[in-house]
Amino acid sequence: MKTKAPKRPSPWLAGALSLLLPGLGQIYARQRYRGGAVLIAFLVVLGMVAWYGQPAWYFAPLGIWLWNVWDAVGQAGERRVSVLIPLLLGLTAAYSIGWQMVRVDFTSANWERGLAVLRPMFRPDLFERRTELNRMWTPISVPCSTTQEAPPARRQDGEKLAFATPDCAGVLETVIVSVSGMWPDTDTEIWWETNIGDDKPLGGNENAPLIVRTDETGSLTTTIRVPSTILIAQPDPTLQLTHRIYFDQRRPIGGLQFSTNGGFVVKGMTESVTMALMATFLAVLLAIPISFLAARNLMSANPFTFAIYVVVRTVLNFVRSIESLILAIVFVIIVGLGPFAGVLALAVHSVAALAKLYSEVIEGIDPGPIEAVRATGANWVQVVRYGVIPQIVPPFTAFTIYRWDINVRSSTVIGMVGGGGIGFYLIQWIALNDMRAVGAAFIAIAIVVMTLDYVSARIRERLV
Amino acid sequence: MLRIENLTKIYPNGTRALHDVSFEVQDGEFLVVIGLSGSGKSTLLRCINRLIEPTSGKIFWDDIDITAASPAELRHIRRHIGMVFQQFNLVKRSSVMTNVLSGRLGYANPWLSLLGIWPAADKEMALKALERVGIADKAQSRADALSGGQQQRVGIARALMQDPKIILADEPVASLDPVLSHSILQYLEQLNKDGLTVICSLHFLDLVHRYATRVIALKDGVKVFEGLPKEIDRAKFKEIYGEEAQEVRAASFEAEA
Amino acid sequence: MKKNLAPIARLFWNALGIAILVFLFGASYRVTQIDFPRLVRDAYKARDFVMAFLSPDVVTRDVETTVIEMNFPVPCGSAPEAEMPDSGPRLVTNVPCAEARQTFILEGFDLLPNSEVNVSWLLPTGGTLRIGRVTTDEDGHFLIEVEVRPITAAQDGVPSRITAETLVPVGPLKPSQALLDVMREMFVTIFMALLSTTIATIIAAPLSFLAASNITKRGVLGTAVYYIARSFFNFIRSFEPLVMASVFAFWLGYGPFAGSLALTVVTTASLGKLFSEAVESIDSGPIEAIQATGANRLQTVLYAVVPQIVPDFISFIVYHWDINVRISTIIGFVGGGGIGYYLNEQINSMVGYHRAGTAIWAIIIVVWALDFLSAEVRKRLT
Repeated sequence: MKTKAPKRPSPWLAGALSLLLPGLGQIYARQRYRGGAVLIAFLVVLGMVAWYGQPAWYFAPLGIWLWNVWDAVGQAGERRVSVLIPLLLGLTAAYSIGWQMVRVDFTSANWERGLAVLRPMFRPDLFERRTELNRMWTPISVPCSTTQEAPPARRQDGEKLAFATPDCAGVLETVIVSVSGMWPDTDTEIWWETNIGDDKPLGGNENAPLIVRTDETGSLTTTIRVPSTILIAQPDPTLQLTHRIYFDQRRPIGGLQFSTNGGFVVKGMTESVTMALMATFLAVLLAIPISFLAARNLMSANPFTFAIYVVVRTVLNFVRSIESLILAIVFVIIVGLGPFAGVLALAVHSVAALAKLYSEVIEGIDPGPIEAVRATGANWVQVVRYGVIPQIVPPFTAFTIYRWDINVRSSTVIGMVGGGGIGFYLIQWIALNDMRAVGAAFIAIAIVVMTLDYVSARIRERLV
Repeated sequence: MLRIENLTKIYPNGTRALHDVSFEVQDGEFLVVIGLSGSGKSTLLRCINRLIEPTSGKIFWDDIDITAASPAELRHIRRHIGMVFQQFNLVKRSSVMTNVLSGRLGYANPWLSLLGIWPAADKEMALKALERVGIADKAQSRADALSGGQQQRVGIARALMQDPKIILADEPVASLDPVLSHSILQYLEQLNKDGLTVICSLHFLDLVHRYATRVIALKDGVKVFEGLPKEIDRAKFKEIYGEEAQEVRAASFEAEA
Repeated sequence: MKKNLAPIARLFWNALGIAILVFLFGASYRVTQIDFPRLVRDAYKARDFVMAFLSPDVVTRDVETTVIEMNFPVPCGSAPEAEMPDSGPRLVTNVPCAEARQTFILEGFDLLPNSEVNVSWLLPTGGTLRIGRVTTDEDGHFLIEVEVRPITAAQDGVPSRITAETLVPVGPLKPSQALLDVMREMFVTIFMALLSTTIATIIAAPLSFLAASNITKRGVLGTAVYYIARSFFNFIRSFEPLVMASVFAFWLGYGPFAGSLALTVVTTASLGKLFSEAVESIDSGPIEAIQATGANRLQTVLYAVVPQIVPDFISFIVYHWDINVRISTIIGFVGGGGIGYYLNEQINSMVGYHRAGTAIWAIIIVVWALDFLSAEVRKRLT
């Protein structure tokens, strides 16, 4: 029997085949993987360019095609051909097209606006100096009524006396207000409180506080305009009702306290951390039983349990690829805005992630100690207690703490879709252009996340 | 006295690990089982305390049929058979003390042991066992902080906690260097002199000659030799280890002879 | 004796630890407003969304529309009444005209069988008022009850008309607009991840040497640089890309550029830290060996340092690309562009749930595929 000697592939034929279909010549030259890779690369680049639709970019797939013919000839002749050219062509096309699709445009970056955004962030609105409040107010009737005499717009409180003239006024009418007996030479904020308790600033275009300084006797007189928006919510705008005009003086008494926004930062951060804690806790409760179902070594005993294993694994992978932010949207629809929706979203995502990690721990159990404990005459509960649990608890704990760490990070953004936590405040402050509050939130996030990062790394180091 | 009758083990994948093996072990013997890797030594030892269920055959211990014991009876029997493993089989993340105490599980109150609560007497006993193998100072260390030889001593201490009548040692020194091997086997020899029966599988012939009172050889699951250590000559060695036996082994054998 | 006290002390510490944990969980439970009954009770609210998710808007067919209409004066006498034919596709009402707020019955005959019909008012002003959507039976007949709204009143003798639009799908299935949009946005998303990972790598690779203790931590200046680089990486890394993106989008305007930039910044810090750890774990043996051959500094770096770190670097880059694709799918929620922006728009539009479903499926498929791909690549590398 004479075996046919393997014929050398013909470079001409290889080249011709590759000209016909990229990769075919390489396959003919017994380079199957190279041929497949060339074909896939060609198709991907071609598809990308075709999608983008600019004819000029067709040079990239064309270049790869030509290179491919050369490569096929080279492969048949057993000559080494560098893949640098097609790699460069493909990457050039990908990055150029990507650059344009992402609309990278540094000229659009308005640096002045950038500074305007950034500068207040360096003066975070977290603390304010503790102050003492000296407050006085006077009633005033709005609007004037033809049928009803307005009560006097005047109020006395010990030394302090405040009054407005006239006693009643309509929207946008001018009123003279006076106060005396206050602290001398102190800035005084004057603002309006409607009959239902809404605060209205009186300065600027009804959008800034009105601040007037008292004289050396502690009195001031100024004119104000009745705000335009105070009657909007009133069913009958002709009904005369009593509103209030406030005069507030503040002076520092030493020390610092959380500002209003600072309080929200603390509240939001507390919410974020506790959300993460709760979500991790719920996730652990569910992930532990599920992880046993997802452990290959426990479930491959018979086809039925193996089917369960496959299903559980698939579902876990599926859920894991849905970001918790998207889950949060669904849960916000169900349970409404607030931290509970965030907890649920984080928990569901964490169950999938933790169950996978746990099941890998279970798959990696050393059977030796189990055998040793069984050999001492222990019953199966004792075998689990002394042979299995000591092996899985430390890595389980490490993974759980790691997950908590991740969840704290995620919980800082989950509020952006209504899931509660600091993100909820953050996105509103950005919309309101309150960058000082945003700066405070950034500092709080950095401190909490960095601390937890450090602590969890330390604990995990000790456990593993 | 331990009596093994026609023991056969066929694994589900069809491997015949033991084929019709019969022998007897008198109380107080130091019986060594030799043979190539895969000759069935580990299977034989594990069949004795039924960590592996034999396919057929019987094992009697003082006329108790181990192979017929119910699960509860089996646990009761296992309490008196200590076992030492090649890979030590310690729970690496638990402390040495916990590992040693776990040898007492067959005696312990099941509920208290679940909570990790042990009687003072057991703790005392564990410390004594650790003293006996010379590592009482390591009681609170984590098992994986110990060297290989120390880990195997923990393994022996764990077996001692069972108050055993028999000790099964499965290649107890295969993972250790020669000097440590001797020290570990000397502990076993000491136990043997204190009246325990030791059944031990070994790889190196020089160790067999030094410690065994009697030898059994397995080849492909079949008992090919039973007798005194000195009866193993070059021909027997080749029969047990095959024609292509490593020259090293042959050399060591010649050095012994 | 100290020995006897130990168990009591341990018991005390354990009890304290458990008490703190219980307290923490109790507090968390309150703060996070856990309310499982509500979850169960209101689960139905997610039905629309889940159903839409299960039937994503992927394919469509061209629709051929045929319209028939009739005059219908409201109130009676305001305009001439319509004649009602008795054959062919036609609309028939049980009254020829009606007053406002009355109810009448509208029937259609001999329309296309088993097809969907949109019934609406065509107002004299040119506007339309939807009546409803019905399906014809096998004889091409439908029946619907109509309540007359005052807005349908005739104006200047021009009556409102009732129209019935029959929609018949014709031609082969073709990808729907939503699918095309989602694919385009997905392209943008993947490119966002690609660009930001690339730029971040270019910046992070040299910076990482500054944060590697074995390279930089020499002398006062070196130590200072080391700690500054370290803290910088850790500080930036503590922000989620979404937090960054919300600020960048506020500055640069909504769009993929803002998202990519935010992603680049966070990835730079994250890669910088990982790279610096890889550099720190270099084995000094090969360096000594190469130096012993008389090589100069550059040669040492090229032959002893680079070969050691390149596999790690590539593995981290691939891993981050994978992560960045995940993040770019959601970065659009805060104005960062890509598929997240589209998804957010569709969810907020209430009628876009099916399109949102398409987007979510696309995200799942892409994330899954890249997860698999990056795991394979990293397996090859190590």
